[in-house]
Amino acid sequence: MSIALEIADVRKTFGALVAVERASFAVEANEFVSIVGPSGCGKSTLLRMVAGLAAPTSGGIRVAGRTVSGPIRDVGMVFQAPVLLPWRTTLANILFVADVAGKTTAAHRERALQLIALAGLAGFEHAYPHELSGGMQQRAAICRALLLDPPLILMDEPFGALDVMTRERMGFELQKIWATSRNTVLFVTHSISEAVLLSDTIVVMTPRPGRIHDIVKVDLPRPRDVSVLEHPRFIELSARVRGGIQGSEMTSLGKVVCDPTSAFVQ
Amino acid sequence: MNGARKAVSGPVVAMTDDPVTDRQRSSKARGPLRSFVAVVAFLLAWQFLVPLLHVPDYVLPLPSVIAQRFGETFMLQLANLAVTAMTTLAGLAIALVVGVLLALLVVYVEGVKSVVMPFLAAFNSIPKIAIAPLFVIWFGLGAESKILLAFLLALFPIFVNSMTGLGEIEPDILDLSRLAGGSSYRVFTMVRLMHATPYITDALKVAFPLALVGSIVGEFIGGNRGIGQLILAAQFNLDTPLVFAALLSITVFTTAGIGVITLFERRFLKWRPSQRSR
Repeated sequence: MSIALEIADVRKTFGALVAVERASFAVEANEFVSIVGPSGCGKSTLLRMVAGLAAPTSGGIRVAGRTVSGPIRDVGMVFQAPVLLPWRTTLANILFVADVAGKTTAAHRERALQLIALAGLAGFEHAYPHELSGGMQQRAAICRALLLDPPLILMDEPFGALDVMTRERMGFELQKIWATSRNTVLFVTHSISEAVLLSDTIVVMTPRPGRIHDIVKVDLPRPRDVSVLEHPRFIELSARVRGGIQGSEMTSLGKVVCDPTSAFVQ
Repeated sequence: MNGARKAVSGPVVAMTDDPVTDRQRSSKARGPLRSFVAVVAFLLAWQFLVPLLHVPDYVLPLPSVIAQRFGETFMLQLANLAVTAMTTLAGLAIALVVGVLLALLVVYVEGVKSVVMPFLAAFNSIPKIAIAPLFVIWFGLGAESKILLAFLLALFPIFVNSMTGLGEIEPDILDLSRLAGGSSYRVFTMVRLMHATPYITDALKVAFPLALVGSIVGEFIGGNRGIGQLILAAQFNLDTPLVFAALLSITVFTTAGIGVITLFERRFLKWRPSQRSR
C-alpha cells in the first residue's frame, strides 16, 4: 500500500492560540480515516492545511508524495454546510467543480447522473437546492466532491448540520457510495459511532492545544450494516475512542484544579 | 436614500413594489382581480363622491376630465414622455455601468473601499436636487444636465447593492472554486455575478424611479421639453387636468419599467426566495 497523505510534525498557531500541536500521521491510499475530537481541537484546521487552504506554522504535509504549498488539485471537499449555489440545479451544482475549471464534457455529465442515481437523488436532477431536504442537499455536495473522481476526499463534519436520524442513514449511504470508488478519505467528525462505522483508522484528537491522543485501527469487516452497531468489537472500539477523548479531558481538568494560579480565575 | 442604506445588510426592499404586487404572489388567482376591483372602486368614488364636496376642476379634476384631457393631448404627452424617458434611461444605464464598475473595484482591489466610501457617503448626504441648478450652469439646458441628475440619483443604490452582491460570497464556495482550479474570470461570472444579479435587480427597482425624479427635476429647472416642462406649463395656465394627465403618463412609464424588471426576475431568477411558487 502506498502512502496517500503524510502529516509530519505539523503545528499551527493563530497568535498565542495553538490550534494544532505537533501532529503526525500517515494515510494509506484507499483508506478511510476519521479525525475525531471535541470542538476546538483543531480538526478542521488540520483538514484545511491538508487542502492547502491554510499553511502550517511549522512541519510539513505531503499529498501523493508532493509537499503542499498552496490549494491542491485533485481533491474533493465536503463542508459542514452543503454550500450549493442556489441558482444551479442539482445536476448543475454537481458539475460546478468542472464548470468553474472550464473543462466540463459529456462524460462529466454522464458521471454526474450516475452519482445522482447512486446517491438516491434520481428525479431531482433539475430541482433547485431550496426544493431539496437538508440530507439531499448534503448528498448533492458529496456527489460534487466525487465528480472528478479525485484520489483524495476531505470531509469536514459533513453530517454535522443534520438531524440524528438522517445523520445515521447518511453514514450508511456514504459507506455504500464510497465502496464503489474507494478514494482515500479524510473525514472530520465529533461523532464517535460515525467514525467507528465508516473508518479504517481513527485519529483521536484532544483540544487546547489540538494534539493527537491515539490512533485506532478499526478491524470490523466490510460492508458494515446496522447490525455492526451492536457488534462487541464496535462497542469495544467506541469505548476506546470515547475513553481517549474523555481521559484527556479529565487530565486537563485535573491540571486546572491543581494549578493554584488559575483555579479561582476559572 | 433610505432604501440604499438598508441595502448594506441585504437586497433593498424595492420601495416602489406596491403591496398589490406582493398580494398577487400569495394568492395568484384572486390577487389581480382584487387589485382591479380596488382601482375601479377608487376611481368610481373619486368620480361620484368628489362632486358632492363642490371641489372645482382646477383644484381636483374628476377622472373623466383627466381622461378627456389625456386623450386630447395624447401626442403631446407621447412626445414629452419620449424626451423624459430618454434622459431617465440614459442616466439609469450610466449609473448601472458606473455603479457595478465601482463595486467591482471595491470588491477586487484591496484598500479602495476605505478611499471611495467616505467620498460616496459624503456625496450621498448632499440633496442632489439642491445642486441641480449648478448642473444647469455647467452643462446647459439640454439633455446633459438631466441625464447627469438622473445618473447621480440612481448611482448610490446600484453601487451599494452591487457591492454587497459581488462581495459577500460564502468563503467555502470560493475555497471550493480554488481547489477545483477555477480561474478568477469564471469565479466572477459563475459565482459573483450570479450572486449579485438579484441584488442589482432590486437596486434597479429603487433606482429607476429615482432616475425619473432626476430627469423631471432637471426639466423643472430649465429647458423646454419633457414631462416636467409639460407639468410646469400646465401649472402656469392653471390647467390642472393636464397636470394630472402628465402624471398619468409618468405612472404608465414607471409601471412599465418596473414591469420589465419583474418579468426579468420571473424568467431568470426563479430560484430567488421571493419568486418561489410554494
